[in-house]
Amino acid sequence: MRKARLKKTAFVAATIFALIQFVQPARNQSGQVLDTDISKKVSVPEGVQSILSKSCYDCHSNSTDYPWYTYVQPAGWLMAYHVRNGKEKLNFSDFGSYTKRRQESKLKSIASQIEDDAMPLFSYTLMHANARLSPGEKDAIVNWANHARDSLSSKN
Amino acid sequence: MVICAMFLSLAACKNGQAQSDSKAQTSEQPATLYACSMHPEVTGKKGEKCSKCGMELTVPVKAAATTANQSAAPADAQNASPLKEILSGYLLVKNAFTADKTADAAAAGKALEATFKGFNKAALTAEQKKAFDEIAEDATEHAEHIGANGGKIEHQREHFALLSKDIYDLVKAFGSAGQPLYQDFCPMYDDGKGAIWLSETKDIKNPYYGKKMLTCGKMKEEIK
Repeated sequence: MRKARLKKTAFVAATIFALIQFVQPARNQSGQVLDTDISKKVSVPEGVQSILSKSCYDCHSNSTDYPWYTYVQPAGWLMAYHVRNGKEKLNFSDFGSYTKRRQESKLKSIASQIEDDAMPLFSYTLMHANARLSPGEKDAIVNWANHARDSLSSKN
Repeated sequence: MVICAMFLSLAACKNGQAQSDSKAQTSEQPATLYACSMHPEVTGKKGEKCSKCGMELTVPVKAAATTANQSAAPADAQNASPLKEILSGYLLVKNAFTADKTADAAAAGKALEATFKGFNKAALTAEQKKAFDEIAEDATEHAEHIGANGGKIEHQREHFALLSKDIYDLVKAFGSAGQPLYQDFCPMYDDGKGAIWLSETKDIKNPYYGKKMLTCGKMKEEIK
């Protein structure tokens, strides 16, 4: 009796799991560098660009690098949710479309979030170990963001 | 648009601004004088530009008695001068930080975010709307972050520094809606880069450090 119920539950769970695989969220991969990309607005040295790409762009740009498990639901849904949220707060691919005021405050927030270890999110680095920033990488980002902000605000 | 602008100017009078009232009243030729729709205290001949924002003076200035009567209507007072609401919302946030109250700051931040989102731009010209949106987009975001980060007062204060700059620019562009304000400066904040804030009191009460350094800072500008 008990065994039968367990079997039934397992069967239902497996069916649901199989069914949700058909609901694949749209991928966030535009594959092109837009005119509004941050690199068109402020200078982004190569070293900084590669740190941004590996540690920030998954959620803060139009080109997410998807690991295999995000093709399995509900992991992909969770990822899609994070990406949507992240892009809403800051999208490096869209940076040029922000007002100058917002660009400056975003750069300011980038520096302080990195300094405070608030970004990249712990829940994200848990799964993406290579996105973790070394102290040297942190310094590079903070210096770059501060510098970029100064150069923006001096341009009037 | 003109009607809304009237509401604005009426409210500014109603809010008991001695300066703006007296300036408006000294104009003894009501028919020939026009005021700026954002700065009712600035008056001149038709076609002249406002000395504060460069906008054409479009609101005919009526005799003081009429103005006083009209402003008594409650409906006017309700819609009038939303910038006033933004400013009082900002000052609530500021006062929560002076008292080191992170939860109060969060609540006030959320309220300010809502005020920004509900701001009625009907009275603004296309040009003014653009200027307003440019600042408000950023300010709304900072208010939102202050609202969402109750418990993390240092993070809230970082956004408050940026918000303060936005509000200052807003006041510079649109006037302080009859609210006398002081621009204060804390030279220590942000690793010595400094930050400003706006206060309704002349006494320094530092929102960046709260009771740790409450009276630290200096007044830079008096805004009327």
